[in-house]
Amino acid sequence: MMQDTDFNSATPVQRDGGARALLLRFFRWEASGILIALAILFAALAIATDNFLSAYNMSVVARQAAFVGLVALGQTLVLLVGGIDLSVGACAGLSAIVGSIALTQWGLHPFLIIPFTMGFGFALGALNGALVAGLRLNPFIVTLATWEIFAGMTLVITQGYPIRPLGEPFTWFGQGDVFGVPLPVAIFAVVSLVLVWTLAQTRFGRNIFAVGGNRDAAVLAGIRVKRVEFLAYGLAGMLSALAGILYASRMDAGQPSVGEGWLMGAITAAILGGTSLRGGQGSVVGTVLGALLLAVLANGTVLMNVSGFWQRVIVGGVVLVAVLVDLLRRRD
Amino acid sequence: MTQPHPLIDARHVSKTFGSVRALTDVSITLAPGEVHSVIGENGAGKSTLMGILCGRIRPTQGKLLVDGTEVHFHSPQDAQAHGIAIAPQEVNLVPHLTVAENILLGAHRGRAAHIDWKSTLAEATRHLHEVDDSVDPRARVSQLSRAQQQLVQIARAAATRARVIIFDEPTATLTYRETDKLIAYIRRMTAEGRSAFYISHRLDEVRELSHRITALRDGALVGCIGPEEATRDRMVTMMAGRPTRAHVTTARTLTDRPTVLEVQGLNRDHEFRDVSFSLREGEILGISGLIGSGRTEVAKCIFGLTRPQSGRVLLDGRETRFRSPLDAIGAGLVYLPEERKAEGIFPLLSIAENTVIPSFDRFTGVLRMRNRQMLDEVGQLARQLKAKFSRLSDPISSLSGGNQQKFIIARWLMREARVLIMDEPTRGIDVNAKQEIQSVLRRLTEERGLSVVLISSEMEELFDVADRILVMHEGRVKGVKDRAEATQEGLLELAMS
Repeated sequence: MMQDTDFNSATPVQRDGGARALLLRFFRWEASGILIALAILFAALAIATDNFLSAYNMSVVARQAAFVGLVALGQTLVLLVGGIDLSVGACAGLSAIVGSIALTQWGLHPFLIIPFTMGFGFALGALNGALVAGLRLNPFIVTLATWEIFAGMTLVITQGYPIRPLGEPFTWFGQGDVFGVPLPVAIFAVVSLVLVWTLAQTRFGRNIFAVGGNRDAAVLAGIRVKRVEFLAYGLAGMLSALAGILYASRMDAGQPSVGEGWLMGAITAAILGGTSLRGGQGSVVGTVLGALLLAVLANGTVLMNVSGFWQRVIVGGVVLVAVLVDLLRRRD
Repeated sequence: MTQPHPLIDARHVSKTFGSVRALTDVSITLAPGEVHSVIGENGAGKSTLMGILCGRIRPTQGKLLVDGTEVHFHSPQDAQAHGIAIAPQEVNLVPHLTVAENILLGAHRGRAAHIDWKSTLAEATRHLHEVDDSVDPRARVSQLSRAQQQLVQIARAAATRARVIIFDEPTATLTYRETDKLIAYIRRMTAEGRSAFYISHRLDEVRELSHRITALRDGALVGCIGPEEATRDRMVTMMAGRPTRAHVTTARTLTDRPTVLEVQGLNRDHEFRDVSFSLREGEILGISGLIGSGRTEVAKCIFGLTRPQSGRVLLDGRETRFRSPLDAIGAGLVYLPEERKAEGIFPLLSIAENTVIPSFDRFTGVLRMRNRQMLDEVGQLARQLKAKFSRLSDPISSLSGGNQQKFIIARWLMREARVLIMDEPTRGIDVNAKQEIQSVLRRLTEERGLSVVLISSEMEELFDVADRILVMHEGRVKGVKDRAEATQEGLLELAMS
């Protein structure tokens, strides 16, 4: 809850009054509901299955959360400034392909592939940013169009065939681990921490909340609104690209299908974590928890031998429950 | 049946929201053909009381009688069925539909599957023109000014053919010409035997219009008086619980002070023409004019939000070329917008953050914001401006309008602004908070040499604080008068000349 320090808190904070006030404060926090849900689900699965808590299974869950989670973090930034980015999944896919080509055909050094791909992803996001912030076009329409363009470009370039193998040492980024933590998970954790800090402690971070909370007031207050919006889209593209290339590294292949299905996961994770579609409200911690919840749900259905087809039904149900809980909290 | 029943008779009505008592044991009646005004500061319970009368809020205790029979309203539709309609304070229209459709929203003429547009338009036009005949019923609501939208809203209430219309601060956004039309409409209405509850902060209007005036304070009824005993002081005392200070400040002559802002021959198509004025250090220049006179447009243009076709703006004698608000802010000139909620505050952010937003740079440490220092400085300014709050970390939307405005002023003091252009800074703010803001402005001009351009529709306000008053009409400057030599009638004549 680093981000939720007294000063930045958007909700009234009771400091006096001890445990009750603390509890009240916890429930006012946007991400409190999902934390409880996650804890319950965790406990239930730990009791109901033998191997849920095993180190291996935990690393599977964490890795699954990491890929969608990275995309969801970028989506959170865009949602916070009051926009939406539908192109994140396609951006991840196109970036992964371009990164794979840079590795296998252009002979770029394996250690430079990730920064290069992130730069490329930023450029794709910046295109969205330029159209939305610069020309004031509707983000839904702009990113719907760029989604198609990015996805189509991926197919044009690959003709539908995967680019493989990517080979050592590049596959280490997706497959290796540090101190037993899978590398993608470690990267997800570091990015999350950096974003928590950015949103809470930097001018750019605070301006994101201002722009999303009231754009007109932000203009009159002298905030460089367009720059803030532009950067949010750029970062969303960059983080999607990071997820995409890490996934390619893990699979040892740049597959044209990378990133398909990440869009809904990313938006769902952000919304479950309490990020408002109207902008100005939300948190990185919430989104991380949202991504974890989705991964645990998916993992749980597998462990419980529930048909994979039910998984989407369950996720949809969870989102509806989350919205209802949020409604009750707001009524309060 | 010697004594006819009052149209509305609310007896011992109370309302609590959670643990908050919004209304305590209030009784109020309304006779046919009567205008009954309800006055009180913000938060006094006026809106709650009216909410109960129009069926939006259900009372916790008490009875409501219409024509002597007890009623229980479950929704505004129930109240409308008894002939009670409300013209709410907040404009609540569908922006992309026409004025006519908005007036008859949900009550189109013709059959459900085949709307008779001709008679719908005719009917809506009739209701609209009863209130104001300058609005085009075919125009889209989004093209209208805020004041015109307010009038459409009133026409909508009128169109329900209600016997009782509740006017909740109808004139807060209207200028005197529109206000006069509204008052005339209410008089015609009562002459037909229909009645009105009338809520307003403009006490002159209340006295002029009402048959009875009821004051609320802290959710309780203070008293009910007739217009003949309703002097301004009496009403303010009832609302505030204490008499007001003699407020009128002395007019100052500042001819020896340097000119800070000079505007020369500013032009912008369809907005204003040939606007020139100057502002001295430590001066408050009032700008008076009707809505649509170009006052707001001039302010936005000076602030760099729009660009002029011709003309110059000089700050400290040097010509400026502001390409965005950011440039203007950098030069120490700021604009406080008319629509505080829509353009001034960040409702989700804390009081402290709302205040420091343009000055973040100053509090950025190596890795962290210097929150302690930030809170100290905001707290210090809050004390200077006598702002009331419980914690600086509370969201700004928890404050009253007057206190929000003080923190917006603090925002720019923190940024060392030297010229403030304030657009209707006290609209919708209660009498006491209004006077506080006015005296804060006077003090800042004296102590910090702040220069203020004060745009206001309220003549009274301009006469209370401004040193000089400039009159705009239809995009042109009609004249500037020292306050000492100006009269309300004189300025009105100037505007119309």
